[in-house]
Amino acid sequence: MLEEIRKIVEEEFELQAESFDTNVLLIRCSRGKLKKLMNTLKSQGFNYPHTISVVDYTPKGKGFEVNYILENLVFKKMVVVRVELSEDDLSIPTVSDVFPAFQPHERECWEMFGINFVGNPRLEVMLLPEWAEGLFPLRKSYDFKKHRKPSKEKK
Amino acid sequence: MNQMGYSFTIESRKEVSGEDLGLLKEKILQLNWGVQHPASGPMRLKVWIDGDVVVKVDPDIGYVLRLLEKLVEYRTWINAIVNVERACFMDDFGTMVGYSIAAEKIAGVEVPKKADYVRVILAEGGRIVSHLIGLGSFVGVMGVHTAMQWALIAREKFLDAFETLSGQRIATSSIVPGGVRYEPTGKFVEKMVEAVDFLEKEFIPRYEEAFIDNPTLKLRSVGVGVVTKEKAVELGMAGPPLRASGVESDIRKDYPYAAYGDFKFKVVTKSEGDCYARYLVLWEEIQESAKIIRQAIEGLPEGDYRVKFPVKLPPGEAYVNVEWARGAFGFHLVSDGGTGPYRLRMRAPSFCNLWAIPEIMKGVKLADVPVIFSSLYMCHGDIDR
Repeated sequence: MLEEIRKIVEEEFELQAESFDTNVLLIRCSRGKLKKLMNTLKSQGFNYPHTISVVDYTPKGKGFEVNYILENLVFKKMVVVRVELSEDDLSIPTVSDVFPAFQPHERECWEMFGINFVGNPRLEVMLLPEWAEGLFPLRKSYDFKKHRKPSKEKK
Repeated sequence: MNQMGYSFTIESRKEVSGEDLGLLKEKILQLNWGVQHPASGPMRLKVWIDGDVVVKVDPDIGYVLRLLEKLVEYRTWINAIVNVERACFMDDFGTMVGYSIAAEKIAGVEVPKKADYVRVILAEGGRIVSHLIGLGSFVGVMGVHTAMQWALIAREKFLDAFETLSGQRIATSSIVPGGVRYEPTGKFVEKMVEAVDFLEKEFIPRYEEAFIDNPTLKLRSVGVGVVTKEKAVELGMAGPPLRASGVESDIRKDYPYAAYGDFKFKVVTKSEGDCYARYLVLWEEIQESAKIIRQAIEGLPEGDYRVKFPVKLPPGEAYVNVEWARGAFGFHLVSDGGTGPYRLRMRAPSFCNLWAIPEIMKGVKLADVPVIFSSLYMCHGDIDR
């Protein structure tokens, strides 16, 4: 099953794919081909969206990584689609029209990391309080000591 | 006007209609369901209603946000379990198992067989403990609190067993990368058998007689909040609600982790996809879990229960899923070669089920909102993390 996907990805999309784990395939995708790849994966049976995981590699000299994790519920296989973004341009086309269930996950990634999902109908703060919009607390550059409330004893 | 010894003077008599009271001016009303509603926990549903029919629902979450994913980055590999298990207090073992397996995958550490078996016993104990609250609160939102009390009595026996093992009843921190933290003593096994005995011989027959196949309960829940198989996958629902819609998805069976490959159990599925089916999935899964615990205790191997876990891990990453009480809990763990996690992403099943609510609740009656809500079996610590 995963071998077929690998063949399609390498031949049709000219993207790199490698084994991530047993039963998990890692596809390195580019921003432009993301939506087409997601549509193809959905038609191949990878129709169960797991999550979107963003990793901040800025202290390592790289940008951000956006990982879309999909599962095939019939053959019990998983696919990780990885898109690398540079620090200066954090925009990526939304996939919430292909997978509606990804919409809140994109919203969470936007408020925690500041990744701009172009075309997502609802990029509002969800988990954070409203005053914290734009702080992006899961970024490595976030300094939590700066936003800590002073305790009552130590003033 | 004289009445009961008092005299009243009527100044002017006027017919009052609903329009004067401002009731009918706006056809669609917004109700706040929560933040402190007994069934909702610390979250708010904004419900727009037209008469008695729900038009739109919008969840407002974030009241118990602790930012666990960030806190983990300041911990060492083993310390991080303290944050990981606090994703939800009801089943804390499942999350610890998932995190530990992910860390072990990066480190290349093989866990002794005994540790795997104890992990299964604890994870299934956690599932029972959590499902019992799920059953009790489902009946509880309909106004009968007896079920919750009965469930808590059965739950206490399991908490006693966890206390014997680790000294704590709820946040046990008992599973760490490299094995389990405490030796499973004979006393623990004895308490666990006692708890399963109580569950199977006392709780299950009594509860079944009163609250399963109960006509009043069925009146409220059969055919309410129906989700078809295709819809459940499209909405990305997880765990018992997904299986209640007929999708056979169980990480324990599909990608066996710990020692689940050694045991016989069946994946509970229902085809109806309504609230009652979700309730029955919880009910039958408790019985399957009890069977798994019995098998694991019978086959508990001898030997070590913990191996040494390195302080520094090589750079790498892993994505591990475990079947938690509320569904597939995913851990995307990244290591940069340091002494603690570089990044941990937790895929929370309750979060996925929560965002299915706006679709499921479209066009239902207002009285069905709490029933559907509690049948989705969510945990607020898990939604916000």
